[in-house]
Amino acid sequence: MYEDGWIPTICYQCKAECAILARVENGVVKEVKGNPQGRDKACVKGMAGITSLYSSERLKFPMKRVGERGSGKFERISWEEAMGIMEKKLTELHERGEAHKFTYSMFPHSVTDPKWRFVNAAGGFISTGLPHCDSGKIMAMMHTFGCFPNHHIAPMYHTVPKGGLMILSGRHPFGCLDDAAVPKYILDAKERGAKLIVIDPIFRPEAAKADWWIPIKPGGDASLFLGVCHYLLTNDLYDKEFCDKWVREGDMDNLMAYIQDKTPEAMSKICDVPAADIIKLAKMAAEAPSACIDAFKSIMYGNAMDWGHAWCLFLVITGNLDNPGGQPLPEIAPMAPVEPVPPAPDVTELGYHRSGNNREKFDNYNFFLQPTWYAAQAIKDGTLKVFFASECNPALSEMGSGEWRKAVTMKDDNDDYMLELLVVTEIMPSETMKWADLVLPDQTNFERWELLYMPWWYNFGHCAALCQPVVEPIGEARHANRVFIELGQRMFPEYFAFKDDVEYYDIELSGVDMSVKELQENGGIWSPGAVGFRKYEDKGKFDTPSGKIELEWQMYKDIGQDWPSPELPQEYRRGEKDFPFILVNFRTIFLNNTGAWSQNNAQLRDPVSGLDANPCLLNPIDAKKLGVADGDTVTMESSTGSVEIPVMLTERIIPGCAGIIHGFGQTVGKVASRGSWVNDNELIADAGSTLDEQDLRGGEAHVSTRVKIYK
Amino acid sequence: MRQLSIMVDLDRCIGCKTCIVACRNHHNIIDHENDQPGAMANYIRVESKLEGTYPELREDSWVVMCQHCKKVPCAKACEYDAITKDPQTGIVLIDQEKCTGCGECIEKCPYNVIQFNKEDNYAHKCNLCYDRVIHGLTPVCVDVCLTDALSFGEKEILLMQAEARGKKMIKKMSTQSIIYVKNA
Repeated sequence: MYEDGWIPTICYQCKAECAILARVENGVVKEVKGNPQGRDKACVKGMAGITSLYSSERLKFPMKRVGERGSGKFERISWEEAMGIMEKKLTELHERGEAHKFTYSMFPHSVTDPKWRFVNAAGGFISTGLPHCDSGKIMAMMHTFGCFPNHHIAPMYHTVPKGGLMILSGRHPFGCLDDAAVPKYILDAKERGAKLIVIDPIFRPEAAKADWWIPIKPGGDASLFLGVCHYLLTNDLYDKEFCDKWVREGDMDNLMAYIQDKTPEAMSKICDVPAADIIKLAKMAAEAPSACIDAFKSIMYGNAMDWGHAWCLFLVITGNLDNPGGQPLPEIAPMAPVEPVPPAPDVTELGYHRSGNNREKFDNYNFFLQPTWYAAQAIKDGTLKVFFASECNPALSEMGSGEWRKAVTMKDDNDDYMLELLVVTEIMPSETMKWADLVLPDQTNFERWELLYMPWWYNFGHCAALCQPVVEPIGEARHANRVFIELGQRMFPEYFAFKDDVEYYDIELSGVDMSVKELQENGGIWSPGAVGFRKYEDKGKFDTPSGKIELEWQMYKDIGQDWPSPELPQEYRRGEKDFPFILVNFRTIFLNNTGAWSQNNAQLRDPVSGLDANPCLLNPIDAKKLGVADGDTVTMESSTGSVEIPVMLTERIIPGCAGIIHGFGQTVGKVASRGSWVNDNELIADAGSTLDEQDLRGGEAHVSTRVKIYK
Repeated sequence: MRQLSIMVDLDRCIGCKTCIVACRNHHNIIDHENDQPGAMANYIRVESKLEGTYPELREDSWVVMCQHCKKVPCAKACEYDAITKDPQTGIVLIDQEKCTGCGECIEKCPYNVIQFNKEDNYAHKCNLCYDRVIHGLTPVCVDVCLTDALSFGEKEILLMQAEARGKKMIKKMSTQSIIYVKNA
C-alpha cells in the first residue's frame, strides 16, 4: 500500500497546513520538503515533523484514567471500550435534555470536518481549539464588507507591486503561520521595490528586514490608524472615487464628523508613536499603489473590534480591497454537501455562554463559535458537562490555564466531577492529557487521511488539498476524524451513512468533479485557478444589508460603538500604578502553534535547531530603574498570578514592556528536559472572571495584562 | 581548482533554522525516536548579531557550516589522511573508515563545525551534500531554504551573480568557500 519516493501530503506541525512532499524509504519517512505543486516551501516545524512521527513518546493505545484527574495515571483499554465510554456519556447527556452541554475544542481542517459534523449531530458546539485569535478581524470585516475575511490571511504578498506597502502590525509572518512560502514572498516583494513596515513593540526578524520599524505601545494600533485616517481624510488624500462608488450613502459624512478629533497629535498620545511618524505613514499610504495590513497579536487584545474597525476604515479610504497588494476577499470552492447534513444547534440560544450565569453580558457577542476561553467558567456554571479536545492544549494554552485546570477538577456535592467527561486525542503526552478521563492516540499527518478545505484559510481558501498516509500508523493510533465517524455511525447512522473518511471526502470532492484518487494522482492539490481581483466589481455589490461597504456599525449605536474607539485595551488602562509593565507575549517560528502535537517536539526545543528558553525580555532602561542585571531571576506578578523568571536585557523591546515567548510551560515529555520555563498564561486572568475586559461583540482579550517585576 | 560553494545572502536569511533540521534528516544524523534536545548533531548552525540602541536597531542572521577551506586546517591536523579536499569539487571530505576519532580536526577547525559520533568514534561534518551535488542537485540546505537566502554553484559564478545583484561580499565573515553577501 505504501510506496517509496517523494509522496505528496500536508504538513500539520502548525495550523498553516503547507503542501509538502515526504520522502519514504523502506516504509520510513526520511525527509520533508515543500510540494512544488503547492507553494514549494516547508519550514523548520515541518522538517521536524518526522521527530513527532517517530518519537519514543508516541501514544500507541487508548487509555483511561485510573487516578484522580491531574494525577496522570492511566491504564490501557481497547478502542471498543473507549468508544463505549463516549457513547454512553453522550447518550446520557442527550436523554437529560443537556446535549448542548457538550463542547468539542478542535482546530477544524475544513468547514465540513467530520468531527464538527459529529458535534452537530450530537447537539453540541465547537470551539476552535484555541482562543478566537482573530475573531475581532473576522467580525469587523463581516460587519463592514459583508464577508468572512480570508482569515489568517494574509495579504497575497506575491501580488504586491513595486512601491506597495506591506504593513505588519504585531504580526509574525516569518513564523509561517500562513504558509511557509510567505517569508519568501515578502522578501521578493521587497526586492522588487515594495516597502515593508513593521509596527511592533518588539524588534523581531520581520523588523530586522523592514524598511521602517515603528515601535508602538501594545494595543495602540487602533489609535495609530485612526490618526492615519484623519490625515488622509482631512487632507483630501483618500480614494474618493472608490468611496463614492462603494461606501453606503451618508457613511463618509459621518466618518468625517467622527474623525475630526482623531488628529495624529491626539492619537500619538495614546499609542506613543510620534505624530510626525503617523503623518509620514499616512503620506506613504496615499502615494503607494497598494497597501495591505496583516495583524495578529493586536487582534487578540480587548480592543480587538476597535482595531478591526479602524483597519477596515483604512483599507476602504485607501481603496485597497481585493486589489493586487491589498486585502483579499474570499472566493469559495463549491464542495458538495454530504447529505443529510446534521443541523447546527443555535449558539445564540443554547451555547454555554448563553445559558450560563453571564447570559446578559453576551447580548452583543456575535461570534459563531463557543468562546474557548469561557470553558472554565462554563464548568463552574454547570453549563459544560462533556469536553473533548483535539489538536489543542487548553491546560497550557488557555488564558488563565490554571483556572481551567482547577475547573476540570471541581466536584459537586456528590463528590462527582462537575465536568463529567474529558476526552483528549493526542499524538504525544501533553499537559491537557494529564487531566483527561480518556486519552485516544491520534495519528500524525504522515499517517492519516484528511481533506483540507477551509474557505477562509490562506493556503486552501479557494482550493483543496489532500493529507494522505505515507507510512503505516504507529501502534493502535487512529485519526480523530476516523474515530468520530465511527462513533457517529454508532450513534447517528442517518448522518454517517458513508463507509469512512475517504468516502466522505470523495462525496465532498464530487462538487468540483474530483475524487480522492484523482487528487492523489494530481499531486495532492486541487485549485480552480487564479483567485481573481476586485470581485465586487463583477458582482456589483458587497454582501452587506445595504449592498455597500458599511463603515458605520449602526447595530452598535445603542452601545456607543458605531465607530472605533482609539483607547488602549481596558486591561492596559487599569492598575498602571501597581503593575507598571505591559506584558507582551509573542510567538516564534519554533512554537507558532497551540497544540501539543508539535509542542512536545525534541528538535524544536533543541538549542541548535529550535528554542529552549523564554526569559523575560527587558529594556536596559527599565532594568536600571528596577536594579536588575542580565540573568537575574525576578518575580513577575500580575493581578492573578506570578512566575519566577530570569531576565534577559535587550534593546529589542520598548521601555515599559516585558516580553515572554508564548508556548512554554510544558512539564511532560522530552521538551521538559530543557526546563519547562514560563507559561505566560499563568499570569493572564481567566476570562470568565474578567468579562468586563472581553469585547463581547466578537473580539476577545486573551493575551494581555499588566505586570510588576521585582527581585 | 574548481570550487563549489554556497552563497549566504544576509538580506534574506531570517534565522529560521529550517536548513539545520533538513540537513539532519537528509544526512541521517538524528535519531528521531531517542534523541534528546541538546544532544543532537548539527552540520549547520545559525548565528545573528543585533547592533544599535533602541530604537535604532539592525540585525543580521546567517548560517555557518563547514567553510570548505582553501588551506584545510582540519586536514593538516589529521595524521591519518582521513580528511581530503576533493580536487573536482573543492569539497572537504572526512573518510569515516580512516578516521580514528582522535579529535584533532575538531580542535583545529576555526569555525567549530565538526561533529563527533561518540558511539562509533568518528568525526563528521557538512560535505556540501556530496551525494547530491555529484548528481547535479543542490545541497539540501539550499534546496529547502525558506527565503532562498542560500544559493549554490561554482564560487566564481556566485561572486558574479552577487555583483550583478548589487551585493557586496562580507570578507571578514569567511575568506573560505562559503560566501557571505549583503546589499552594498
